[in-house]
Amino acid sequence: MSSSKSFNPFAMAQAQFDKVAEILGLDEGTKEILRNPLREFSFSIPVKMDDGTTKVFRGFRVQHNDARGPSKGGIRFHPQETVDTVRALAMWMTWKCAVVNIPLGGGKGGVICDPHNLSMKEQEQICRGWARQMAKNVGPLNDVPAPDVMTNAQHMLWMLDEFEVISGGKYPGFITGKPVGMGGSLGRTEATGYGVIYTVREALKEMGIKPEDTTASVQGFGNVAQYAIRLYNELGGKVVAVSSWDNKDQKSYSFIKKEGVNIDELLKITDRFGGIDKVKAKDLGYSVEDGNAWIQQEVDILIPAALENQVNAETVTLIKDTVKIVAEGANGPTTPDADKVLIEKGIFVIPDFLANAGGVTCSYFEQVQSNMNYYWEKEEVLEKLDQKMTSAYLAVSELARKKNIFMRDAAYMISIQRVAEACKDRGWV
Amino acid sequence: MAKNKQLSEIVNDLDERAKELRCLYKVENILNNNELKVEELFLALINVIPSGWQYPHLCQVKIIIRDMTIKSENYEESKIIITKNISVRGKVIGEIAVSYTAHPYDYDREAFLSEESNLLKTIADRIGHYVLHHDLNLIFKKFQNVSLPEVQENAGEWKIILDMLRKTDPILFMSILRKLLHNLVLRGSEEAEILMSQSSISIKAGDERVHVDENRPLKKKIINNYDEYINAILKLTSENFEKDEILLRIQKWMQEEKSIPLVRILEARESTLAEISDAIRKYYHLAPEKFELSPSIIKGLRVSLVRRFFTEDLNYIGIAKEFVKLTDFYKLIDKMIYQPTSQGKLGGKSSGVFIASNILEKRAEDVEILRNIKIPKTWFVASDCVLSFMRYNNLEEVLEQKYKELNELRLEYPLLVQLFKNSEFPPEIEKGLAAALDDFGDTPLIVRSSSLLEDQMGASFSGKYKSLFLANQGSKEDRLDALKDAVAEVYASTFAPDPIEYRAERGLLDFHEEMGVMIQEVVGNKIGKYYFPSYAGVAFSNNEFRWSTRIKREDGLVRIVPGLGTRAVDRVGDDYPILLAPGQPDLSVNMTLEDSLKYSPKRMDVINLESNEFETISIDKMVKEYAENYPGLKQIISIVDQHRVRQPNVMDDIASSDYVVTFDGLVKNTRFVKKMNEILKTLQDSLTTPVDIEFASDGKDFYILQCRPQSKGSDLAPDTIPTNIPDDKVIFSANKHISNGKVPEITHIVYVDPVKYGEIPDIENMKKVGRAVGKLNTLLPRKKFILMGPGRWGSRGDIKLGVNVTYSDISNSAVLLEIAKKKGNYVPDLSFGTHFFQDLVEASIRYIPLYPDDKGIKFNEEFLTSSKNIFEELIPDYKKLAEVIKVIDVPNSTKGKILKIMVNADNNEALAFISEPGADLVITDHVADNKSDHWKWRLTMVENLASRIDGDKFGIKEMYVFGSTFEGTAGPGSDIDLVFHVDQNEFKKDEFSWWVTGWSDALSEMNYIRTGYKSNGLLDIHYVNDEDIKKKNSYAVYIKSGAYKSKKLKMMSEFK
Repeated sequence: MSSSKSFNPFAMAQAQFDKVAEILGLDEGTKEILRNPLREFSFSIPVKMDDGTTKVFRGFRVQHNDARGPSKGGIRFHPQETVDTVRALAMWMTWKCAVVNIPLGGGKGGVICDPHNLSMKEQEQICRGWARQMAKNVGPLNDVPAPDVMTNAQHMLWMLDEFEVISGGKYPGFITGKPVGMGGSLGRTEATGYGVIYTVREALKEMGIKPEDTTASVQGFGNVAQYAIRLYNELGGKVVAVSSWDNKDQKSYSFIKKEGVNIDELLKITDRFGGIDKVKAKDLGYSVEDGNAWIQQEVDILIPAALENQVNAETVTLIKDTVKIVAEGANGPTTPDADKVLIEKGIFVIPDFLANAGGVTCSYFEQVQSNMNYYWEKEEVLEKLDQKMTSAYLAVSELARKKNIFMRDAAYMISIQRVAEACKDRGWV
Repeated sequence: MAKNKQLSEIVNDLDERAKELRCLYKVENILNNNELKVEELFLALINVIPSGWQYPHLCQVKIIIRDMTIKSENYEESKIIITKNISVRGKVIGEIAVSYTAHPYDYDREAFLSEESNLLKTIADRIGHYVLHHDLNLIFKKFQNVSLPEVQENAGEWKIILDMLRKTDPILFMSILRKLLHNLVLRGSEEAEILMSQSSISIKAGDERVHVDENRPLKKKIINNYDEYINAILKLTSENFEKDEILLRIQKWMQEEKSIPLVRILEARESTLAEISDAIRKYYHLAPEKFELSPSIIKGLRVSLVRRFFTEDLNYIGIAKEFVKLTDFYKLIDKMIYQPTSQGKLGGKSSGVFIASNILEKRAEDVEILRNIKIPKTWFVASDCVLSFMRYNNLEEVLEQKYKELNELRLEYPLLVQLFKNSEFPPEIEKGLAAALDDFGDTPLIVRSSSLLEDQMGASFSGKYKSLFLANQGSKEDRLDALKDAVAEVYASTFAPDPIEYRAERGLLDFHEEMGVMIQEVVGNKIGKYYFPSYAGVAFSNNEFRWSTRIKREDGLVRIVPGLGTRAVDRVGDDYPILLAPGQPDLSVNMTLEDSLKYSPKRMDVINLESNEFETISIDKMVKEYAENYPGLKQIISIVDQHRVRQPNVMDDIASSDYVVTFDGLVKNTRFVKKMNEILKTLQDSLTTPVDIEFASDGKDFYILQCRPQSKGSDLAPDTIPTNIPDDKVIFSANKHISNGKVPEITHIVYVDPVKYGEIPDIENMKKVGRAVGKLNTLLPRKKFILMGPGRWGSRGDIKLGVNVTYSDISNSAVLLEIAKKKGNYVPDLSFGTHFFQDLVEASIRYIPLYPDDKGIKFNEEFLTSSKNIFEELIPDYKKLAEVIKVIDVPNSTKGKILKIMVNADNNEALAFISEPGADLVITDHVADNKSDHWKWRLTMVENLASRIDGDKFGIKEMYVFGSTFEGTAGPGSDIDLVFHVDQNEFKKDEFSWWVTGWSDALSEMNYIRTGYKSNGLLDIHYVNDEDIKKKNSYAVYIKSGAYKSKKLKMMSEFK
């Protein structure tokens, strides 16, 4: 093996794009502009460390495409960041925003640093340094950063403050992921889990099945799973199994109750990482089984909402014939091998970047609210989220039906098509 | 009626005792009144003494001292009299008599109570002390007058002093004279030499000059004329010395004299703790430290005291003598429990905390932040009380217990504990414990072992003996019973199988072990029905778990939890203390909210005052109920507010908030870190070794509970790195960021080739490497394999940087190694295990970073790549990855040898090399884990079992053993995995289960006797039928699976 063969995330993202571009029949110019980022920034951030020395950190920002609106994407603090990773992630953001049809482009950025080696004061200096270097090229109208790996609301507020000092005004729409009251949006906790169920609801509607006649099994019991179960229950559906990670035993278990799990009862015996107390669960009448039991249930809907690679070549064979829908609440829960089996079995898949787009949609809402400096009630946020998710889903499923293609491919096609059109409309290509 | 009478008698008795005490108190007051003249003082005494007697109106007193007699008014001679001598320095100088003018009773009964006689004796002793004190004071005054410049002209002043002494204290006078003579001889005065050779005033034979040519004993030449002799010395003195000099010397000798009784008692090997305590008390009374003793005498006294009370260890003594004050011992003796004949010591833990508190107290004079560091109130039971306890109950034969076979010990131990608990304590000890309880009140207590071996071995022995928490609630009787129970249990733990096994392994069985006991007040507050400190923990001078290259070893480490410190001291596995490097408090382990939430304490240890139990409760429950009452809670927790962690403010209602334990407030708003730094630094400097301490706080004050040298820690001591290992035996070496930590002997190496890993073209296969490692984690022997891989294990972001694993994929490994192989000019950063750092710490998984391209570093790539790779055999499903992942069975590749990894943080060095197994003692989770024959025994047993199974009768075709028994990795608590291939039509499951369960229980019992591990049946049994085998269902894979996974066992029919 030569090193040129070695894994390159950006090359992989390009290859994926090329495949869809081929199907869409995009012209060379469009392909070329979408294959690569529009702009890349790479700069130094000098920081006076606590011990008096100066250290220079490397900062990045990649704006992959902003034809549909300001770039949107996180800022990562990572000790071995490579530009190829950031490029790939920026491109992914472009497609993700496009698939839910929100008027934003894709970007990503970061700083090469290991927060484990930095005090909070030093991290603040890095954030402010980043904002200083990028102030001219970011902003509510250009490029909107957000928290990502190893960064959080605190980092965002430091950057926002620096940006506002430089710009001489208040621009809460410069950044998202802010706390409520500091320009954040309500409904963010619910957004992803609810989003999954909005798409499930639409899928059931298309299949002509009433939600109250369905059962589901959920992998994971974290934030996404919890809100998904809650909304699904409100629709009348019955969840018969959830799986959860047991930190003590370092393995997961499935908690099964044929008459339907009671979310409130389970939450009382759940730690904040979604770990369900298996002894107490038994007392409540749950049967506690192997971690893989969730996928073997005779249900209509499977919602993998835990880790990636959970539906793989091995586990996919365990899926019962009753299953009609797999709604991907997690990122990348299904491996390509398993995809093939799902297609063969005729199981309808709601792909991750559509199903769990509730999060990015809510970020968009945060920015909208920040820009007008007027904040909605939670109901209003969730209502608008429902509309966005529903129409995004319908567009993808319609395309899949029309062209008789797999949902995942349809989702890619629709998003790339939207961006390509925007470039064309602007006369870029 | 009879009862009432008894009661009235008791009341009467008590009244009498109270009267006596009041009398004694008055006497004491008068004797301490400096303003009274001698006569006035004795008159006053005579007036108060009758009040202590039963019939004061009949009572009269007479005191004779030297040539002075003082009597009660209208004193008349009487025959109803008790008399006691008054003595000074053993010499009778007078007497005191109490008499009745008439007999108080009409009938024949002793006029005086025995208590009254004792009272008089006490008063006589006190008067004796007073006289001595008074005499000395007089002499001092003389001295002071003499040393005034204006009277210096008077040449004879010092002679007057000596004259005085000669009259009041001839023994002291002679002693001073002797010293003068010695000094004269030293000055070279020939006359003095002559005087010396003639003198008989040298009391000890040793002082005599022996003429070498004479073999016969010297005859004492007695000088008849003392005056002449004395005058000769005095004359010589005034000729040879300056006046000031003589005065100075005499003054010093007189002061030294006062310490002599104490010195004598301390020097005598046979003196008991009681005698020593008494001597200290007297000395302290006579000459508290305000009288300046010469530094050498002070040091001598300190050394002797330290030796008698604590340890013979020279290092310890050497340090202690610089810090410990005599007054500290005076305070100590009131809190000691011992038998009258006791000669024991206070043991290891007591010595540690005693010296630490003294060091900090002394340094606090200069360093403000060290002030107000407290030590919880502590009582000590002398180490040899355990022997008296056993003697008292005829339990001496238990002493030989330690030479018994371990399995015998294990069987007998529970009985022994009961035996000890049901035994009586000798009355003196019981009284002592009762006195201690009176002193403690109903504060919860911890009863800690403080044995002599703990002292010898330091921390490595800690935890082997019992420490017990007592709620200490209820009636005095109940509390005393509970305390006695606890002490008995601590005593019994001297003979527990684990410490004895541990001693046997280290050749310490013959060491004369005695068990001192520390009874310590638990620091804390009563909150609801619970009692606990606001926070507690341990701190180390040397940080052996560094999460950032910026943290230096000297930056130290603190493990801190809410509630009792037990959860910080021990590693509980599924709960995490907060870690902090006091030298770098801003570099925290947890960088993301998720980390903070995961790696933080969720439960706390408390004492439940209602149930009288030690309990673990959820912090949540505590906070929800008692947030308002918990002192300092705001310094302990942070509020989780919309994906941020912030310190609580006034507006927060903590009970209803989402919060996480961070100790941010303590670190940022208080001087905790600064104080901790200073404590660690001070103790390390003074004790000249890195230390580890236990601490606690009740939210108000800061307490130190224990202190010991860190180097003696069981698994954190540096290894000695051998220098003579030939290059071909070395697998790797390292010299950057090395932490101490014992690594067990390694049998398997998992090596993810950095170059090959970097060449994997797609993300799917990269992820597969992580999954394969996870599978290896379950297949390879626990804590016997190491994981070597490129860059950052568990990288969350870019998978190219390191193998994508979670903690559960590596949880059984012994060491995690990250290889920073140069790429061009660029050396990748390593993760230091930060992705699951605290999991590694709590599971004792060591971390070593490797920089193979650095100068002088050895990295035996040849061995790693060319040894036989068994990866494919282990996980055939992933055979495509065999290029990337090498699994080396070290004993198989090296003719039975193992991989040994030695680390030494002091020199920043690590070395891994191929070595003979078992050459060195290896410490793992449990001592017994080292026994390599657990699997052998299991295998023999199941082979035996198999030979008795009539397959035809039960419908069993064949049976296999797999898992740890088969792989030779079984530990003392492992079960035995068996899979039976049954004929689904013929199999008589109920019958067979019944039969095999009996075996399982019997084996479990046998294993318990061997190892002390209890289990619910030792056999883990699985059945498979033909269909399972066809479908390769679950355990069917072990049937006919070939050499690597299982072994077929011969059943009865095959033996025919």
